[in-house]
Amino acid sequence: MTHTEPQDIETPQNEIERQEESRQSPTDAKAPGFLPIQTNWFDRLFISVVIWTGLCLFWLRFLEPAGLSLNFAHAIAVVIGIVLIWKG
Amino acid sequence: MQSNKLGWFLLAPTLVVLFFFGVVPFLYVVWLAFHQWNPFAVDPTIIYNGAENFRRLVFDQAFLSSLGVTLAFTFFAVTTQVILGYVLAQAFMRDFPGKAIFRTIHTLPLIMAPIIVGSIWKLMTTPSIGIIPHYLDQWFGYDLNIGQSAIAAFTITVIMDVWHWTPLVTLTLIAALVSLPPDPFEQAQIDGANRRQIFWHITLPMISPAILATVFIRLMDALRTVDEVLMLTGGGPGSATRYLGVHIFREVFPRTNYGYGSAVSVIVLYLTIVVCWLLFVGLIAPRNKKA
Repeated sequence: MTHTEPQDIETPQNEIERQEESRQSPTDAKAPGFLPIQTNWFDRLFISVVIWTGLCLFWLRFLEPAGLSLNFAHAIAVVIGIVLIWKG
Repeated sequence: MQSNKLGWFLLAPTLVVLFFFGVVPFLYVVWLAFHQWNPFAVDPTIIYNGAENFRRLVFDQAFLSSLGVTLAFTFFAVTTQVILGYVLAQAFMRDFPGKAIFRTIHTLPLIMAPIIVGSIWKLMTTPSIGIIPHYLDQWFGYDLNIGQSAIAAFTITVIMDVWHWTPLVTLTLIAALVSLPPDPFEQAQIDGANRRQIFWHITLPMISPAILATVFIRLMDALRTVDEVLMLTGGGPGSATRYLGVHIFREVFPRTNYGYGSAVSVIVLYLTIVVCWLLFVGLIAPRNKKA
């Protein structure tokens, strides 16, 4: 015989609450990291891509003429992306 | 679960159309941005050239100049439209004689095609036949010549954009103002708040989502302005009104440089996303966090 906690019982109200939670917009996601806004993983992926593109353009304009390969920019962007998605 | 399936089924036609007419062309442009392609050349082969288009782009003085004037144009046009649109929306919230006629006339520019707007403003600003240079000369002794003066050409393009698109902002803000509940305003008046306090602490916060949505729409439009400006000034004099849209047009159509044009298009999209996202983060996200 298994014991059932009151909160485990499936009720129409629970179902509605769960659906409401799943419908929350990305900015309502409760995952505060070091970013100043609340984000979900897709927001952080988006921010990473935006930073990657910006970093590559900056690199092409200012650092590549000095002899630094664009691959360094990609490597840095990947590291930033991982940190952002994981901890942001 | 059943309702989800029905939802996806009903959405499917729209999603299919969006995929083929929105996502596929976008991915094609991104793919083309990494290639060199001149379809009208002796050898029309599409050649992969890595980041070469972007490497050229970041040193291209014509592009960088276009970027600067586009950002200036966007800032002045959108700011003026929002301020003027709000003032007009507040004016239309009150009753005055001839309000319906004035509102109709005010909304007319919205239904005009941009190319027509450019033609009208070209007629109105052409020296010797235009009404604007005529009266500016008669009343102020100012010789307006948008074919010679860079500042005059830039200013006229901003005014033209404001004339064309302010009604959109007005209509959006009227809708926002009409939907505001009267209770907070009554309570503020009872508490002795003056009009400025009511505006800053009640009206503005309550209509800020509508303002932000309008600013997003106008930002996206202003950053890709082409036809009006091409018709009015052709991007000149010099590169004074060679906005990014005009720059892309000149690269893609007269020069048939599709790869480089695609790279510039991708960067314009990137800029639009970044500007809108920064605005969202700056204005809306902190409020959501507080809530």
